[in-house]
Amino acid sequence: MVDKDIPVFTAVSSSARQLFILLRCLNFATKAQVQISAEGLRISAEESSSMEAFAFLEKELFESFQFNPPASPDDAESLSSNHSADIPIFEISLPALLETLQIFGIANPQQPRDSNNNSISSTSRNATNAFDSRVLGMTGICRLTYAGTGSPFSIIMSEANVTTTCDLTSYEPSTIEDIPFARDKLAQKIIMSGSWLYDAMRELESTSPEQLSITASPDPPTFTLSASGTLGSAIVEFSNNKELLETFQVGRKVRNTYRFALLKKAARTMQAAVKVSIRVDDQGVLSMQFMIEVEKGVSFVDFRFVPLIGEEAGGNGDVNADEETDGYHDDDDDEGDDENSEMLEG
Amino acid sequence: MRFKADVQNINTFYKLVSALTSIGSICWVRLSLDDIRFTIIPEQGSQVWAVLSINTVFDQYTIVSQADNVINLEIPIGQLTAALKSALNAVAAELRLTKVGNQPILCLKITSLSGSSGTFGSSFNDQFDGDGQTVDLQTTGNTDRTHEINQQIPIRVLSPETVANIHEPRCPDPDVHIQLPNLKALKSISDQFTQIAIRDTVSRSGRQNRPIINFEANMHGCLRLSVVTDPQNISCLWTELSNPELDPTQVEGGEEGIANHPSTIMKQKGSADGKSLEGWASVRIDGKDLSKVLSIGKLSGRVIACVCDKHAIVLYVYLQSEEEEEDSSVLTYYIAHTAG
Repeated sequence: MVDKDIPVFTAVSSSARQLFILLRCLNFATKAQVQISAEGLRISAEESSSMEAFAFLEKELFESFQFNPPASPDDAESLSSNHSADIPIFEISLPALLETLQIFGIANPQQPRDSNNNSISSTSRNATNAFDSRVLGMTGICRLTYAGTGSPFSIIMSEANVTTTCDLTSYEPSTIEDIPFARDKLAQKIIMSGSWLYDAMRELESTSPEQLSITASPDPPTFTLSASGTLGSAIVEFSNNKELLETFQVGRKVRNTYRFALLKKAARTMQAAVKVSIRVDDQGVLSMQFMIEVEKGVSFVDFRFVPLIGEEAGGNGDVNADEETDGYHDDDDDEGDDENSEMLEG
Repeated sequence: MRFKADVQNINTFYKLVSALTSIGSICWVRLSLDDIRFTIIPEQGSQVWAVLSINTVFDQYTIVSQADNVINLEIPIGQLTAALKSALNAVAAELRLTKVGNQPILCLKITSLSGSSGTFGSSFNDQFDGDGQTVDLQTTGNTDRTHEINQQIPIRVLSPETVANIHEPRCPDPDVHIQLPNLKALKSISDQFTQIAIRDTVSRSGRQNRPIINFEANMHGCLRLSVVTDPQNISCLWTELSNPELDPTQVEGGEEGIANHPSTIMKQKGSADGKSLEGWASVRIDGKDLSKVLSIGKLSGRVIACVCDKHAIVLYVYLQSEEEEEDSSVLTYYIAHTAG
């Protein structure tokens, strides 16, 4: 990095640990895409184009957050006009990022309570206890910098007389297509406690299922998760009770089927989340938005899953729902704050 | 040949011996009237040469041999550690050289109070591992309610000729000598970096190769550990460490020797913030070796690292003894540079 240039991005976090807690949710992929904007950092991961997850680290999560998009005319030409305030997305190694945050972040004396090794959370590496940082006496303040395309994404922590620097190589992203989710053509929207969803998933997991069908209906049984596989099937039913399902909005019966193995990758996040908003759009794309408590309030991690269709879904092909909605197809990735706040109200 | 000694400080002795087990399994122990030396030279990895003043661990002792009262033994260090572990709560422990048939045996006689026998049940299981080590339990019927455990460790007695050819490695004068920071913190970083390096070798070649860590220091109080892999380049820099002054009486050529010493020349280069590219003595070492050596942190000693650029690191671990002011015992570790 050259000192005379102002880095494109600099941010200071007082808690590497809270970044770690959020980004650990994406820990199913080997690469993470990073998009820096004036509002924050969007870190996303995907698997086989049928599942993606992203965490949005709002600038409020940081002590200081400086974003200086390249303004010189040469640079501006290379950027498309709609994204003039953004810089190109890049990819970094997700395990390397988590390892680094772990070195910095586990300093916090509050050991996470969710470090038990249930089989459903086996996607997580044994991440929380490998590093006893009380020994290190580090406070977890870290600085993130990125000098622009081709530069590494750096994480620096200084503590008394110890400075740890990690330069994460930035790669060109392999794909930057998101799974489209039509937020204005919802077939179903349910808000409930994350840990109840986690418990249900754990129950269903015992039959080693291949598929998970999510059914929501205005008539009882209102909300069911049914898992099926070669060993048999199992069903968990939720009744439409305000204490159980905080929000339950469904026009008519909707049933969609997803690969259980993919949903399982969100298990750790379900466990960590205070609430989850489970939405399905008219194409059957499942969005699970998790609200996770961090030191400075709450943050959100989103998962999206592509449904299995026709034959794949084991013949239960009555794919959904409200055909009436005719709003535009919204590819924009800005997080709907209205929806977030809805979860917050409850 | 006779050897018999009362172990004076079982706890220290145990910690020392258990720290050595991370280096290798077979230890050459040289007993003399002045000191006890432990040497482990594994086929791969770092060597350790430890010298303990005899009073550190033995109280009453008899060491008699025809070779100037020096006895050389080859001891399975893991079994000695296990035996000493069972003696941690003992009121007395005696170490003795005996023979069963033609097999030389190092016998540890542990005397414990019967009331406090909580440990022997577990130690009995620990010890009796079929390595030829035997445990005898005798409860004396006396009113003092003590019992004795005899731990017998089969060993080899080495002739003076056998050990005559084992020499401590010779290193050039070190370019940098520096006192290491808190060993537990250093070991944590070393462990973590080693994991990163292991994962890198696996992802590149599909199998585990030696995880290489860079170990660098300068004469301005800076120490840096780093790992360079494709997805990340991570380093940890300590500053404001101390570079101990050389003692003119210990350096060949006295004051003049110091003036021409490589470390004096290195002192003119580099900077205290560690940002300068000059003045670093650096070696590439196997992270697993470093982590093993740093497990000596249990003994909470002062550690000086001498770095011979592109050659080796020599770590001197000075054990703090409770009574004596000066460092009477020192462990010396050699970790060789890995080329490539």
